[in-house]
Amino acid sequence: MFFGFFRRKKKDHGSRKEAKDRLQAIVAGRRHSVPVREVIPAEVLKNSEQDVVKQIKSYVAERFMVNEENVRVQFEEHNGYVVIITNVVFH
Amino acid sequence: MAKVYVVTSGKGGVGKTTITANIGCALASKGEKVCLIDADIGLKNLDITLGLENRIVHTILDVVNKKVTASEALVRHKQLKGLFLLAASQIATKEMLSPEDMKRIVGELYGKFDYILIDSPAGIERGFRNAIASAEKAIVVTTPELPAITDADRVIGLLENAGMAEENIRLIINRFKPQMVRRGDMLTKEDIQENLSIDLLGIIPDSEDVIVATNKGIPVVLNGNQGHGIARVFDNIALRIKGELISVEKDLQTEAGKGIIEFFKKLFSRN
Repeated sequence: MFFGFFRRKKKDHGSRKEAKDRLQAIVAGRRHSVPVREVIPAEVLKNSEQDVVKQIKSYVAERFMVNEENVRVQFEEHNGYVVIITNVVFH
Repeated sequence: MAKVYVVTSGKGGVGKTTITANIGCALASKGEKVCLIDADIGLKNLDITLGLENRIVHTILDVVNKKVTASEALVRHKQLKGLFLLAASQIATKEMLSPEDMKRIVGELYGKFDYILIDSPAGIERGFRNAIASAEKAIVVTTPELPAITDADRVIGLLENAGMAEENIRLIINRFKPQMVRRGDMLTKEDIQENLSIDLLGIIPDSEDVIVATNKGIPVVLNGNQGHGIARVFDNIALRIKGELISVEKDLQTEAGKGIIEFFKKLFSRN
């Protein structure tokens, strides 16, 4: 019993291996994301952008009862997704 | 001409602000002229970490709105005369700034400093894109946990997608616990590096000294620790940024023997 006190209980294995396997799986899966321009041709994306911005400006201006100039819409493209930022200024 | 770095991460709470403050202090204490820009709009923590929160007169929002120039908005550090801060605004939102605004600000400061370090907000949206807009190099910060590493991987992908060359993106592993690695309960630096495939700039061991220093508003590099422990790690990182070849193994050597010293310290301390 005395010597048993000093004997360290041996672990089966730490969590490192599990973490490493999961990390490899997640990272490998995420690297599959593709740029938007590879999905939609650049020309189509540009035309759609202008159209979307116009429609959002008109819709937001009507809904919030402001002039269209008070609606600022930014259309941004990232790899794998499109971000549309809309700022409305009220005076 | 300044070298412009962005300090970024995918996940929040990994220590970007503390690292930005300490690298800035370490570089400035080596005679470099350094400007820190807090791009974490809406939160504003870099001034607190540096102990400069009471000295802020103008923020980055005043510069964007052209009330003052970027140079006029800078605050000089109390101890380090070569260290300056451009503080964030707490009342602004990330959308009030654009990547073009950031380019203009950095462009104005570019010729006046040796290094410009931009503290980025966590995540991959607007604030991130503002912060990286004018950066030539990036320091990606992660802790050794899966969510932080996988988010760092995403950020590296976005940096590369934004045109940053792989060799200009370097990694800092923060809150590393050598004892857990020895027990087989934490990913090793090799595991992390292998998955992220970028060079290591430094490994910062987990330390209570950082919390104590932040509480005092004095970065750990200046908190009477110069040349020792964690402060030494930040010195190593600053020297690597300046181009010196120092092995990252040296960052972990500061931990060697600390366990037994801490044990005796605790044994003989009254509190």
